[in-house]
Amino acid sequence: MSEPRGILDSPEEKSRGRGASVSLSDLEKSYAGVAAVAGVSLDIRSGEFLTLLGPSGSGKTTTLMMIAGFQAPTSGDITIDGASVVATPPYRRNIGMVFQNYALFPHLTVAENIGFPLKQRGVSKQERTRLVGEALELVHLPGYGGRYPDQLSGGQQQRVALARAIVFKPRLLLMDEPLGALDKQLRENLQLEMRRLHAELSITFILVTHDQDEALTMSDRIAVMNDGSVAQVGRPEDLYDRPCNRFVAGFIGESNFLPAAVRGVESDVVVAECDGVLMRAVSSVRPASGTKVTLATRPERLRFADRPVESGLGVNRMSVTVSEAVFAGERCRYLLKTEGGTSMVLKEASSAAVRRRAVGERVEIAWSVADTIVV
Amino acid sequence: MSVPTTILPSRLVRGSREWGAWKRALPKLTPLLLAAPLLAYMVVFYAVPVVLMLLRSLNDPNWSLDHYVGLPGDTVFLRTFWITLSTSFVVTLSTLVLGYPVALALSRARSSAPLILILILLPLWTSVLVRSYAWMVLLGRHGLINEALLALGLLERPTRLLNTTLATEIAMTHILLPYMILPIANALRQVDPSLARAAAGLGATPWGIFRQVILPQSMPGVAAGVLLVFVLALGSYITPALVGDSREITLSMLIAQQVDQLNWAYAASLSAVLLATALGLIAVAQRLPGVGNAFRMNLR
Amino acid sequence: MQIEKQRKYSSVTVRRRYLLTLGGAALAAPFILRSGLAQGAWPEQTTIPDILKGSGEVRIAGYGGTVQEAQQKAQFQPFEKATGIKVRDFPGADWAKVKAMVDTGNVGWDVVHLGHANAIDLMKTGDYLEKIDYSLIDDGVRREYRFEYDLGMMVHAQVMGYRTDAFRGATPASWADFWDIQKFPGDRAMYGVGPAYPELEFALMAAGVPPDKLYPLDIDKALASYDKIKKSVVKWWTTGAQPTQMLTDREVVMATVYGHRMAALQEQGVPVAISWNQGVAKFDTWGIPRGARNKVNAMKFVAYTTMPIPQARFALAIPVGPVNEAAQKYIPPQRLVVLPSAPEIKKQVVPYNYEWWAANRERAAAKFTKWLLG
Repeated sequence: MSEPRGILDSPEEKSRGRGASVSLSDLEKSYAGVAAVAGVSLDIRSGEFLTLLGPSGSGKTTTLMMIAGFQAPTSGDITIDGASVVATPPYRRNIGMVFQNYALFPHLTVAENIGFPLKQRGVSKQERTRLVGEALELVHLPGYGGRYPDQLSGGQQQRVALARAIVFKPRLLLMDEPLGALDKQLRENLQLEMRRLHAELSITFILVTHDQDEALTMSDRIAVMNDGSVAQVGRPEDLYDRPCNRFVAGFIGESNFLPAAVRGVESDVVVAECDGVLMRAVSSVRPASGTKVTLATRPERLRFADRPVESGLGVNRMSVTVSEAVFAGERCRYLLKTEGGTSMVLKEASSAAVRRRAVGERVEIAWSVADTIVV
Repeated sequence: MSVPTTILPSRLVRGSREWGAWKRALPKLTPLLLAAPLLAYMVVFYAVPVVLMLLRSLNDPNWSLDHYVGLPGDTVFLRTFWITLSTSFVVTLSTLVLGYPVALALSRARSSAPLILILILLPLWTSVLVRSYAWMVLLGRHGLINEALLALGLLERPTRLLNTTLATEIAMTHILLPYMILPIANALRQVDPSLARAAAGLGATPWGIFRQVILPQSMPGVAAGVLLVFVLALGSYITPALVGDSREITLSMLIAQQVDQLNWAYAASLSAVLLATALGLIAVAQRLPGVGNAFRMNLR
Repeated sequence: MQIEKQRKYSSVTVRRRYLLTLGGAALAAPFILRSGLAQGAWPEQTTIPDILKGSGEVRIAGYGGTVQEAQQKAQFQPFEKATGIKVRDFPGADWAKVKAMVDTGNVGWDVVHLGHANAIDLMKTGDYLEKIDYSLIDDGVRREYRFEYDLGMMVHAQVMGYRTDAFRGATPASWADFWDIQKFPGDRAMYGVGPAYPELEFALMAAGVPPDKLYPLDIDKALASYDKIKKSVVKWWTTGAQPTQMLTDREVVMATVYGHRMAALQEQGVPVAISWNQGVAKFDTWGIPRGARNKVNAMKFVAYTTMPIPQARFALAIPVGPVNEAAQKYIPPQRLVVLPSAPEIKKQVVPYNYEWWAANRERAAAKFTKWLLG
């Protein structure tokens, strides 16, 4: 206790786990009978970086607001470190929060903004100055304490908001579309910075975003939300490679969907027929023969298969016609039509050494069975 | 200002070099041109009469500062001026205390906002004269308030409420209340509602949010309201004349009385003092930190 | 038939007055005024000299209220009919406005209702009024109301008014009574600072100065007398409508009033009365602002309204005295005795000394203002 405590704790403290664990059980929120959040259950581990990802209206922000305490759930429970917080007003929940519009106090300087949560907690002025300085260092804005928010750029303002949200050492940080108002370059910089902060602080982060790239880049785990409920929770690569349904497959990254009918099941591989071609796909379920299913595959995992050597059990093949070809810098994007009329997209890394396909050309395409899933 | 907008030189033909210069200068002149009709109106119907009035205080019957030199020792003026200032102060304070919560309610109300606004504006649609008469009816010795207090047993016999400075303060508080509420409500409405959330999330109690976030940001509105009410109260005439104590009159009433007695130069010097006081207050208020913004247009 | 009606009406008035007289001391009798409500009984001016006929319009500024209403019925309407000149009348007559209008050359009124003292002061200040054309004026107008720049048209008195229900039968009859807060408890209203002048005469009479020894007024003595009643005067009024309103609203129990304004209150049944005793007799005049656009019509208007019958009609509409000797013929005796011009009343009131006020107004008003507001 003799040593003044900083925002970044000692390695010992870190190892004990500073982050709060959050548990949502059957959380519901409805407005005038319409459910915005319809039964969300989710366990967020201590120190985890979890993202609530979904389109607008999916209930992700409402869920976040309920965790923060700005909205009361219609039913269900929220616990932080095992204790229910539903009845706790927001100002007693001790949660850091970053808003999309920064929500900096325009009448206070940067230092006063960052010192605000400390002041509410009765931290002495001297201590406040020290911690504010440290927080400014942490977000790479030393020397900016005397400025007013409107004298800062958008990115700087968001860093200040971040510093303000962590200066009082909350065990949980909530972020509502924190980078939504920034341009692409700045967004990418700040994404990395937030990851770094997460690593340094080792507290629990919950991020709300509609931007899948942001979610994939930053999160330990992502909860994809749709229509007020969680469609799938998992690590970014799990969600990308093994989306559990068509919504997730379509929302995270781009997917080609092929209608098919099940012809048989071989251990964990389903054999299905699409436009008269037999294909293999991985599946967690074992559908009966004859069932109509949809096969999903990622455009960048397709490739042109001019040489027949690639044929084999681990590969699906199909012959298609090029109906559109777009050069997009690092990639070429082709719109293809199967013989049955289904549209597919193929993305190929662009290279001067690779021949570009012409519209109307008939080509063979191939992709790995491991990249084909039943949704 | 020095560009003549009325007299166009004859060489100013479309396509000529001068014409081009004019066309380029035009965007700069536009604000001036837009304001010109009002400006002309104000010069003719406000500036000129004010200057004439000021002149009268200096040159009637001949050039001298006599009418001003006498003021510091003029007990009628000093007492009247003091009463005017103190009444304006009380009225400003009471409109602020009563008006701020209403402004807060107005800025927060959603569906009931139009109703609240109408209730606030309703008095403004009635003439000051009518509202002052209404207060005479209420405050009279046998008016509603006295009768109610008697009926409740709080008074044994009717008390004098009308024709007192208190009556002036009560009636003027009512009459000037909208001028306090509207600027404050406007300032409060401009406070980003997410700031209150942010403050709550950062640990501020509801009272803390009000004191540290809402109140400071409404200060420009408060300043505008205070200034507006104070300056209007300074010039008040009808209400104190009807419901006030006739021995504790306002400067405006004294001016009217002196005009009635044909002491126009003296009345003009009193008017000059009143005008200077109002202008001085505005000048001081504009220099107060954070308050000057209330009078600056936000062009961003 | 019409005469009968009027007589009946008047007798009621008289009986009431008689009854009240029995209740109090004879000299201190409260006086009940009645205006002639029965307009049908009024005399009509059927013919006028051709020289008064004309065309166009004349713009009149009056004092508004009951006085102007009476003027409209008694004089303005018949004037229009008889002369063919249209009358446009406004309330808010104000001598300071006359000065402003003439100063700026924007004269909006052709004839203005003034207190005679106002006319004197205006002409002391500058050349603000037109000369009266006496070739048009009726011979019956008494000498004492003829002036170079204004013409008397209404005789009235400034007197004590009080609520008859305030003193349990006691009747105030002098300014000493008005000043006596023990005997006549309650709030008062008196004239303050404005277009007319402070009631120094009343203060002096209250202090014991005999009515015939008032002038020259001892201003300081008057103010010392005022000191004694200052606390009880809750309103220092500035317009004639204020004291009557305050008496009606029971805001005060006693006030100085223009006697003729009380008639309307009594008609409404408000228990008020006036005491002529120690009142001040004044008269109001017509003035024509210099440069009035319809100056010719204005002269005709002034001449017409001071003719006997228009004057009689005015006195029947509201209890003011006529300035025209011949008007008496058209006023029933019962009415004549209640007008401020009646000999019995004239004995009780003090004539206002316009000369003294013309010479001393500024000094008196300044001292009074300082006493009241300083």
